[in-house]
Amino acid sequence: MLYYLIVCRSLTYAQRTAAALERAGITARVLRSPKSISGEGCSHSVKISQRFLPDALRILQRVGLPPKRIYITAGNGSYQEVAL
Amino acid sequence: MIYLDSAATTLQKPASVARASAWAINHLASPGRGGHRPAMDAADTAFACREEAASLFHVPQPEQVVFTFNATHGLNIAIHTLVKPGGRVVISGYEHNAVTRPLHAIPDVEIRVARSPLFDRPAALEAFRQALDEGADAAVCTHVSNVFGFILPVEEIAGLCREKGVPLIVDASQSAGCLPLDFEALGAAFAAMPGHKGLYGPQGTGLLLCGMDPEPLLAGGTGSESRLQSMPAFLPDRLEAGTHNVAGIAGLLEGLRFVRRRGVENIAAQESLLVRRLGEGLREIPGSQVFLARDPMDQSGVLSFQLSHWDCEALGEALGRSGFALRAGLHCAPLAHESAGTLEQGTVRAGLSVFNTHREVEQLIRTVGRLAERGENPA
Repeated sequence: MLYYLIVCRSLTYAQRTAAALERAGITARVLRSPKSISGEGCSHSVKISQRFLPDALRILQRVGLPPKRIYITAGNGSYQEVAL
Repeated sequence: MIYLDSAATTLQKPASVARASAWAINHLASPGRGGHRPAMDAADTAFACREEAASLFHVPQPEQVVFTFNATHGLNIAIHTLVKPGGRVVISGYEHNAVTRPLHAIPDVEIRVARSPLFDRPAALEAFRQALDEGADAAVCTHVSNVFGFILPVEEIAGLCREKGVPLIVDASQSAGCLPLDFEALGAAFAAMPGHKGLYGPQGTGLLLCGMDPEPLLAGGTGSESRLQSMPAFLPDRLEAGTHNVAGIAGLLEGLRFVRRRGVENIAAQESLLVRRLGEGLREIPGSQVFLARDPMDQSGVLSFQLSHWDCEALGEALGRSGFALRAGLHCAPLAHESAGTLEQGTVRAGLSVFNTHREVEQLIRTVGRLAERGENPA
């Protein structure tokens, strides 16, 4: 299944992001960012299903939690950055 | 034993506090240090605690709530952020050593004390006004004196600071959980508080509310931006180097929830009633000097007193032998004693909590009365 990873600048931001999405009915899970996309090393991401991205972006914009970067899973297990 | 030293630490806590801490020791790992269940559950607990505190103190965002070891730790961060060598700072006449010692440790700092008489809120405000007129890099004000329970006009002082563009550090050690505190309305730079007093959490916990970018006191691992050799620029990571006191945070979360359920206004009202009765009862004892505010709105649940012909430490000891836990001496706040004129004698202090009862207060009054009749160290 394809999913998006919203990379957050801190664990607390990831938790706020996930909480905002969950409140809006979007299933969101906080996880450690994969090493290949973690930027300066060790960050947290919020995982959401592919179909929820437009709604998620709208919600995060509204609550003042703009994503740092977003990646989509590729079939071979790698990640591709999504242009925002 | 009747415990009346809650100004130092609350000993009687909601049962859920100990349960949560004990559970955390066995089930929670380190927030941000792993994606496994125990680490993520610990992260959830820490986040819930930040959110609970942010809600209680009207802090806009949970990341502005930083975990510290105690209020002193938070005050040190705040002071070292704002006060530099050769700088100038205004403080109230009721500050604790947790404020004055860090300030004295910074070279060539000019410390201007806004002195005012005990329980005189207008005078305290005027003293700040005059001191701030000469300019300052920062102001520090305790919300409540840890010795006398004097409630300083911190909202008005915050207004003065905003007017003059002076960042304010609020020491909420004696007020957090006992009096309403609206951090956003204050517009303060920082507010520091312990978790183990009026918030009923375990010792070793504290919170620093941040209204501006702070400078870290400690550097180390944060579980974020690990390739960088500088501390992250963002909160709370910037101030939280090293492993968290997760067991303490889990307990503190339950303490915060308890305070919310009880209601800060209800807690304040209950403690105020108890302190009034205690003060009035002690005043009837011949030879007593009781530091009770004329206006109940000027005093929290902390009360100091003395007995003539009794050394305060000896009186504290005698009360201890009679089954009461009170603190005697200078309470780490010589400046407050200087302001009230009690520096040489010290006082005995009762620090009440929501778990104290009218019956306990009456028992203390009777016991102090008996000790007053007996006199110090009878043969």
